[in-house]
Amino acid sequence: MTVAGGTGPDAGTPTVREPETNEALDRLWADPPGLWGRLTAVQNDAIGTRLMLTGFFFVLLGGSVDSLVMRLQLAVPENTLVSAELYNELFTNHGSVTMFLVILPIFEGFAILLLPLLLGTREMPFPRLGAFSYWTFLGGGLVYYSATLFQLVPNAGWFAYVPLSGPEFSPDLAIDFWVLGLGVAEVGAIAAGLEIIIGVLKMRAPGMTLTRMPLFAWAMLITAFMILFAFTPLIIGSLLLELDRGFGTQFFNPGQGGSSLLWQHLFWIFGHPEVYIQFLPAAGIVSMIVPVFTRHRTVGYTWLVAAMVAIGFLSFALWAHHMFATGLPPIVLSFFAAASMVIAIPAGVQVFAWVATIWHGRPRWDTPFLFVVGFLLVFVVGGITGVMVAAVPFDLQAHDSYFVVGHLHYVLIGGVAFPIFAGVYYWFPKFTGKLLDERLGKLNFWLLFVGVNVAFFPMHIVGLMGMPRRIYTYDDSLGWGMYNLISTIGVLIIVPGIGVFIWNVVRSYRKGEPAGPNPWGADTLEWAVPSPPAEHGWSVLPIVRSRHPLWDQDVLDRGDERLEHFVHGLSTWPLRWRAAVIVGTADGQPQEVFRVAGPAIWPMCAAAGVVLIFVSELAKLRWGIAVGALIVVAAAIRWNWPEEPPMTVEEEDEFEREHGVPVNGAGSVVVASWGMGLAILFVSIAFGALLLSYFYLRLENPVWPPAGIAEPALTWASVAAGLVVASGVAAQVSLRRVRDADQRGFVTGLASAIGLLGAGAALQLWDVAALDFGGTDHAYGSIFYTLTGFLAVVATGTLIMGAMALYWAVKGHYTVRRHATVANIVRFWVAAILIWVTGFGVLHLGPHLT
Amino acid sequence: MLAAGALEPRGPVAETIADLWWFMFALGLAVFVVFAALLGASLIRRRHEEDPSTGERAPDAPSRWLIWGGVVLPLVVVTAVFGATVVAMRDTPTTAPSEALVVEVVGHQWWWEVRYPEEGVTTANVVHVPVGRPVAFRLSSADVIHSFWVPSLGGKMDALPDGTNTLVLQADEAGEHRGACAEFCGLQHARMDLLVVAEPAEGFAAWVAGQRELAAEATGALAERGRELFGDARCASCHVIRGLTEVGVEGPDLTHLASRPTIGAGAAGNTAMELAEWIADPHTVKEGVKMPATDLDEEDRAALLAYLEGLE
Repeated sequence: MTVAGGTGPDAGTPTVREPETNEALDRLWADPPGLWGRLTAVQNDAIGTRLMLTGFFFVLLGGSVDSLVMRLQLAVPENTLVSAELYNELFTNHGSVTMFLVILPIFEGFAILLLPLLLGTREMPFPRLGAFSYWTFLGGGLVYYSATLFQLVPNAGWFAYVPLSGPEFSPDLAIDFWVLGLGVAEVGAIAAGLEIIIGVLKMRAPGMTLTRMPLFAWAMLITAFMILFAFTPLIIGSLLLELDRGFGTQFFNPGQGGSSLLWQHLFWIFGHPEVYIQFLPAAGIVSMIVPVFTRHRTVGYTWLVAAMVAIGFLSFALWAHHMFATGLPPIVLSFFAAASMVIAIPAGVQVFAWVATIWHGRPRWDTPFLFVVGFLLVFVVGGITGVMVAAVPFDLQAHDSYFVVGHLHYVLIGGVAFPIFAGVYYWFPKFTGKLLDERLGKLNFWLLFVGVNVAFFPMHIVGLMGMPRRIYTYDDSLGWGMYNLISTIGVLIIVPGIGVFIWNVVRSYRKGEPAGPNPWGADTLEWAVPSPPAEHGWSVLPIVRSRHPLWDQDVLDRGDERLEHFVHGLSTWPLRWRAAVIVGTADGQPQEVFRVAGPAIWPMCAAAGVVLIFVSELAKLRWGIAVGALIVVAAAIRWNWPEEPPMTVEEEDEFEREHGVPVNGAGSVVVASWGMGLAILFVSIAFGALLLSYFYLRLENPVWPPAGIAEPALTWASVAAGLVVASGVAAQVSLRRVRDADQRGFVTGLASAIGLLGAGAALQLWDVAALDFGGTDHAYGSIFYTLTGFLAVVATGTLIMGAMALYWAVKGHYTVRRHATVANIVRFWVAAILIWVTGFGVLHLGPHLT
Repeated sequence: MLAAGALEPRGPVAETIADLWWFMFALGLAVFVVFAALLGASLIRRRHEEDPSTGERAPDAPSRWLIWGGVVLPLVVVTAVFGATVVAMRDTPTTAPSEALVVEVVGHQWWWEVRYPEEGVTTANVVHVPVGRPVAFRLSSADVIHSFWVPSLGGKMDALPDGTNTLVLQADEAGEHRGACAEFCGLQHARMDLLVVAEPAEGFAAWVAGQRELAAEATGALAERGRELFGDARCASCHVIRGLTEVGVEGPDLTHLASRPTIGAGAAGNTAMELAEWIADPHTVKEGVKMPATDLDEEDRAALLAYLEGLE
């Protein structure tokens, strides 16, 4: 193995100091032992590793076997290896699994596992949310896969276009498994996204300003925001599809005012960003590996960040390029074509920043770098064909042909899978203490590189020859046989490549060469700690003074005197609770020391509740939905149950006097308010997606409300809206009272806020119940009641939080110093009212005004 | 001569797209060659013996690499491609000129209903068009989303249940063109072919005249019996044979069945043997089609076959 500088594996890079408290901290941060420990685990190492292994397991279970069987079926014309039905199930599964259950969880796993070490902090901000995310992802994947046991395998494609996926043409439960199983996993994806955003923005080593942050963290930050903005509309789309399938609504039925294209819009508003959600973390990994294996600082760090941000924004402006053949007007087509092509610029900036780094540096051909070079070549081909398919007239030929199959696999295998392999080869030593075998690594790479090109290049040609996607067989006379045979041979080269990878991982895990802390001579923080790292990662937090701390700093625990004092102070106190540091978003200066939540069973219970909700809908046991919802609420309440602060206010004050950083042993003020902010954002995006559906349906229907339905009456709805607004005022007042230490005024204010909101919501529901149209006759009624139901759910959520706050308020739990929970609930309250008033305006006022 | 590929253009729309493709292909190839050369050079170029460990060089300044390679190169390429796209879009009409022949195509699971409203002709899975005259295909669907694609004539367009999309194509020479459904539409998406026959105006007019005729009379006792069976058996509840029955309209119009080259939307050839097999049990030929197997005895099947074979 090649060695940095030639003098030893860790030459020239600093390692961490391990104080006497190291073992105590390690024990404090470890998950409990045994089975119970596994169920209650929240440690980022455990959660991250599980996400990655489960994602990999799902791809082996479905994604890969499927593709092999599909390729064998298509190897020769008129083949009868599998039936049409099985083939349709195979490609549906292949797309669904890879897009929902593999790539994203693997990257979220990478992030949760790596970020605390990479950023120089001890944990992710919400370990229990991380655990919840894992359990929902696992549960969703299992529900989805369990379809096989019932012979109800989804068969409408990973995009599930209506009406094919609707109740009329897919009457059995196969599509429900798809919608509901993946729906659970989507909830998990969003939860992990929230965790990653706050982790990157607020939990970094002292001194790690945003401009010193590793590019992988930037990539995950942008990705996590995209997850929030993309997966939420998908969840709403899935909700509408399930309502159509299970409750007889008419969202997607053109015969009753619905629209089949509404589904396509909602799906691709998710679906295209999803491609970049998969690509950006890969770009982040590549950006970490290139400088290390070329011994050169990243050229154009700022440009790379700007390029990723640009891709994040642009990716939401080009979903309709999946819909060029649906009959959109030419002006719309031109806009989406231009937007799709413009993304070549930030992508070009990234690619040339990497090439420039290689040019200026000194390449070292270890396996991670080999995969990066393979990535660059294959990804650029996919990028070039990507610009081609953005050209509308050409896309009308290429769309839904094998040309697109070739294109997307160049992008996703070259652009995503290769970097994942590179990342595994790169970071495996850090977390196992063993190096992966280099000889097997090179064999692994060459088999995949050759196999991928042999498999997917001919697809471009056969696509141009007229071969459509998703066909289980084809005529001999068309001359497609040879190209398909070559593609199949390519896959037969890929399969042993994957086999070599698995063998390498298993073998090296057992008896690989010991790695040492920094086998690659890398520049970022995670390589300073021992391999494998301790549970808490850092006893003495590093003080970051450079973008490449291990290259530029001789020691990690020296720096600004105040910071130095702080990080050493934190290595010795507290030792009874898990302390982590919050820093300023931009400047990386410590803002708060807070207690990170420890192991608990409640995240798993909440996840089980979510799974129960979806499974009950699948089994049409509707009462189960209510039970599931109760479990979720109860688990969430228990999970957030205020714990006795592990120290007195005096102790907190003493630390603050000593180090100038406030301590919040009762839970973080900063992190909690960020969490609430993102929760509000999530609810708002969901509401936005429903409004978009409302206005889309309205545009599709010349008469709105449709003939025979009166405009909804205004009187009681206005009164209800007034009560709801008043409840917000009361909530605000009660918050002011607690800040003024007026316990009586606080409790009274909170109680009246709850009363007013409850009354307003009840009045609204009573009024709506008396309307003379149903939710199943016309798309108007469907969206009207769905939106009203959404408002009711938001109000109920607010009421539950308010009731909990009231309970603790009466017990005198909140003080002037500790009332962050109340402040957060009031923030949600205000957001809920804005949503309610908007909903009132759209549903009730709108039809009167137009 | 059957044309099946996007790069065998037989009409102005497909030609425009093929030209766009070759332009983009040349440009894309050039970009890849330039990129691969730069990457190769950066990987293998000789380096001065400097400090091999951590680089002291490289400020984070926007180098020429980023400006020329990252911004200017993609910008130039994308501008050229977008320009070519707009020109090609202008050259591929989206609205039908007044002289265009109107053909209504309705996608069904899994066959194409083809109607000529002005000529009063209805057929299935085969479209005859005159050479040199624009054809406005009015596309819609009776069930799920399909997509109408004849690569050698032009791009595809979806057939939606929501409304009608128009695709304007033209064939410049006589010949046959393979078409297919391009949007996954369920079990037999792979077996939903279409044949476009382009022929000179006179030939087209003759074909229309033939298709306008009522169904041929049955000739011979066997066919006569088959004709009765068609009406009595369940056939008539889905199939129209003009001149005999116009009750059910779910399935393809069979008035001139014998004039078509294939059955089951390309699932089998239109020979006596294959048709017999289809009548007995279409699911052995094309699993999952809406048509049920028939329980006719051999004699009745032969009669039905004799009648259908005569529907020129």
